[in-house]
Amino acid sequence: MTVQECYEMIGGDFEEVCGRMMDEARVKKFALKFLSDKSYGMLVEAYEAGNMEDAFRAAHTLKGVSQNLGFTKLFEISHEITEAFRPLQKVDVSAQMAQLKDVYDVTIAAVSQLENA
Amino acid sequence: MKRKILIVDDAEMNREVLADILEDQYDILKAENGREALEILKNSRKEISAMLLDLMMPEVDGFAVLEVMKTEGWMENLPVLIISGETSVKAEKKCFEYGVSDFVRKPFDNMLVNRRVDNIVNLYELQKELQAKVDKQTEKLRIQYKLLQVQAEKLHKTNESIIDILGTVVENRSLESGAHIKHVKGFTKVIAERVMQDYPEYGLTKAKVDVIVSASALHDIGKIAIPDSILLKPGRLNPKEYEYMKSHTTRGCDILDSIEDIWEEGYQKVSYEICRHHHERFDGKGYPDKLAGDDIPISAQIVSVADVYDALISERVYKSAYSKDEAYHMILRGECGVFSPKLMECFRNVKEELEKVAAAQGE
Repeated sequence: MTVQECYEMIGGDFEEVCGRMMDEARVKKFALKFLSDKSYGMLVEAYEAGNMEDAFRAAHTLKGVSQNLGFTKLFEISHEITEAFRPLQKVDVSAQMAQLKDVYDVTIAAVSQLENA
Repeated sequence: MKRKILIVDDAEMNREVLADILEDQYDILKAENGREALEILKNSRKEISAMLLDLMMPEVDGFAVLEVMKTEGWMENLPVLIISGETSVKAEKKCFEYGVSDFVRKPFDNMLVNRRVDNIVNLYELQKELQAKVDKQTEKLRIQYKLLQVQAEKLHKTNESIIDILGTVVENRSLESGAHIKHVKGFTKVIAERVMQDYPEYGLTKAKVDVIVSASALHDIGKIAIPDSILLKPGRLNPKEYEYMKSHTTRGCDILDSIEDIWEEGYQKVSYEICRHHHERFDGKGYPDKLAGDDIPISAQIVSVADVYDALISERVYKSAYSKDEAYHMILRGECGVFSPKLMECFRNVKEELEKVAAAQGE
């Protein structure tokens, strides 16, 4: 699978990220690094524990990372969750969290395919 | 050696991406949060050329870092670029209020980040270079100023000694003892200081008073050009001799004029004024120029009173001494010349001080 195909699969903006990062090899390198990014895990953990401050910060980080990588779909949903968390009060975003999980799982699965490509 | 850039971001991914952009040109230091960043800044901020700072971090966040930097005065020499996913203008404004150099939003363009960092690093380097140059120049100027001060002091002393030498010449030539010149100097000082205090319109300062006092020693320098037959004549001068005697004022000026380029203009001017005009009268009936009122330089007016006062209380070949009290009243009654009312007011107020000076100098 090419990097471009991967981006198409996960709803990312390949051209945009290539423009910013200057070349495809670098895009691939950092997309792969996303596999070890901890922010999603931290977000889920903090949300389930009801720690809104940590949940907000983790969501914010996930948003920033996915935005910078051009993972548009992941960025959009994490952005929505970040804003929901911003007042630092408990909110029920289980629908969005479920949606986030779907998008995240697809992203991880697709990006993993790049590893041996 | 490469310049150092400090990257502060809690997400490893972000640190990696930024490092990747900059590591060809710079040595990269990384901090995972505000606390680590402050630790690095505390120890080695002087080696760091710029800092990229994320705002949202656990524990010590970006604003807390800025707060410490501002309090410690570290913002001045270290440019800070905020790299943040924060989209609000409010956060951006707050950062600039802290004095950050730039605010870059995520997602950032690699080349633009690179350029912005380069620009800001170069700008600060240039500023540091200029500051170093300015400091060097300032130091140079300070030393030169000090030298000038020393030279001015030396010149000042030279002026004083010129006057003292000339004064000594006068003393030796004339029958009036050296004491007269000393007395006139003393009386001049007392009166001039009073004028400075009570009549600011004359613009006297401590420095000007010093010059007047010093130059007063020369008021009679013209007398060295008067023949002994007149200068030392016991008894009254005839009208022709008296006219000649009066020319000591203008002859003194000729002598002073011939001493050029040696002393400061201020000294020469005041010496000249005193020499020429210390026999003018406030009503315009004095000599040599028949100046009236405050057309007579204040320096000459002051020395004139001091001169008359000393003449009265001293014994001369043609007269005996008056008591200080008598002399005081004679002058105030206008029996020994006409002086400015302001000057007479000052004279009235310094009676005791004048008497003290006279007594201290053994009359």
